[in-house]
Amino acid sequence: MNGITAIMKKEARSYFYSPVAYIVIGVFLFIMGIIFYTFVGIYQQYAYASRMGGSQGISLERLISQLFQNMAFILTFMTPVFTMKLFAEEKRQNTFELLFTAPLRPGELVLGKFFSAFGIILLMLVLSFVYIAFLILWGNPDLRVVGSTYLGLALSLGCYLSLGALISAIANTQAVAFVINFIALLFLWLIQSVGQRVSVKWGAIEWGPVLSYLSPLGHFNTFAEGVIHLKDVVYFLTFITFMLFLTHKVVESNRWR
Amino acid sequence: MIEVRELTKRYGDRVAVDNISFSVKRGEILGFLGQNGAGKTTTMKILTGFMAASAGTVSVAGFDVFESPVEVKKRTGYLPETPPLYNELLVSEYLSFVADLRGIPKAQKKTKIDRAVEKCQLGDVRNRLIAHLSKGYRQRVGIAQAIIHDPEIVILDEPTIGLDPKQVSEARSLIKSMKSERTLIYSTHILSEVAATCDRIIVIDKGKIVAQEAIGEIQASGLIKVEIVVRVANDQIVARLKEVRGVRSVNLITNGSNRLVVEAEAGDELMAEISKTVVNQNAGLVRMSPVKLSLEEYYLDLIGGRRATV
Repeated sequence: MNGITAIMKKEARSYFYSPVAYIVIGVFLFIMGIIFYTFVGIYQQYAYASRMGGSQGISLERLISQLFQNMAFILTFMTPVFTMKLFAEEKRQNTFELLFTAPLRPGELVLGKFFSAFGIILLMLVLSFVYIAFLILWGNPDLRVVGSTYLGLALSLGCYLSLGALISAIANTQAVAFVINFIALLFLWLIQSVGQRVSVKWGAIEWGPVLSYLSPLGHFNTFAEGVIHLKDVVYFLTFITFMLFLTHKVVESNRWR
Repeated sequence: MIEVRELTKRYGDRVAVDNISFSVKRGEILGFLGQNGAGKTTTMKILTGFMAASAGTVSVAGFDVFESPVEVKKRTGYLPETPPLYNELLVSEYLSFVADLRGIPKAQKKTKIDRAVEKCQLGDVRNRLIAHLSKGYRQRVGIAQAIIHDPEIVILDEPTIGLDPKQVSEARSLIKSMKSERTLIYSTHILSEVAATCDRIIVIDKGKIVAQEAIGEIQASGLIKVEIVVRVANDQIVARLKEVRGVRSVNLITNGSNRLVVEAEAGDELMAEISKTVVNQNAGLVRMSPVKLSLEEYYLDLIGGRRATV
């Protein structure tokens, strides 16, 4: 347990001593700001038009859902920035020798690393609440939808972080980890949308839904509708556990090489 | 304190460490000598529990490295070949991280860090970024990291490599100051290093131990070389000297002065005999001085596989 906190403390320092964390968080909030501004503008136009009896208005729920969809997309592709250096950098600096000649278990290392990256993402989610707070102050969105969406975001981003941790453990440099991670995320995104469109039957199994089931993306959508299915929560937690288990194995296997 | 038995490590087909056995007593300083790639680093990595062995057993402080690695790791400090430092941290933050990693209780943390800083003379750079440190300081931070938790055993992999002469002598005195408190193993390929600090050396070549001796013995038991400077030198003197019992070889060097280099067994009587022979030949003895077969030559002999019996 002490090992986990020691690793987390050190990782937190590393994140905030380099400008990368500030830049990424800054860029994230900036893009969210632009999206928020644009969406609210569109919402107002529609609201005005519908009052005049011109066209149908869009609901506040629709606005929030769109906002969260965009946020999920941006954050997903920002996760590699926080995971790329987790293990690759230790390899480059030869610091695995420090970590594993200390009485630290590989599991503690993996969890400490994962939680530190997860902490940064949670911080970004907390900061993003600024925009949602405006909507709550001046409108009356369904708070249950907001809550479940945040939960879904945290869980699905946890999946991407655990995937990134695994890739960082395999790759030798952070640049390679970043590129592979990016491609892997695109792939997950791809199988989700392909899965929704194709209907290939091979044997007794319909492959389309299987493909989209495998990708974490589809599991997030129900959260965004304000519905928390236990099966989706289980899916996310299983995904994270499995990825961290693999990471643990990869890290441990370094001892045998 | 440390017992290594029939240790072997293979990387694929290549055998890095080949069936070696040795032991180290409590409080001893052991020098691990060998060329680059001889298997020193691999052996040390296995001793610290960082790497798994292919075969054999290692017990450190009574614990088996493979069965209870955590117990072994608690009792050892290790400085790898490249100091494992985080460039983005300050020296004080780095040491604090290592202290946490080592599970040092909060109450003792400050005193332990202070002690390590003092021992390694890091006071001046305590609040400097590690990325900005010179090589000598980086090495010292590495050593501080290895001793912060007061380990019984300290293993240092080439602690003086890349340091300037002043830093080398500082590192040496640091190593010597650890004597008696701790058991120390350190590797190097610099011989003067070993002669200056170690109690005992193990010479390793191509993964095998080729010699295992106390430092005193090496220097006393070797053959002795005597350099004799004379005014007149001829083949007759050489012939006479060769007849003396115990003399192994005689070389006449005549550039500038006349020098006879005699390689012989150690012993005062033999020295007297040699000088008498030279004087009897009316060669005009100017100077006669013994040259000890250096550790350097001893080592090269071992590595090259030839003995100094020319």
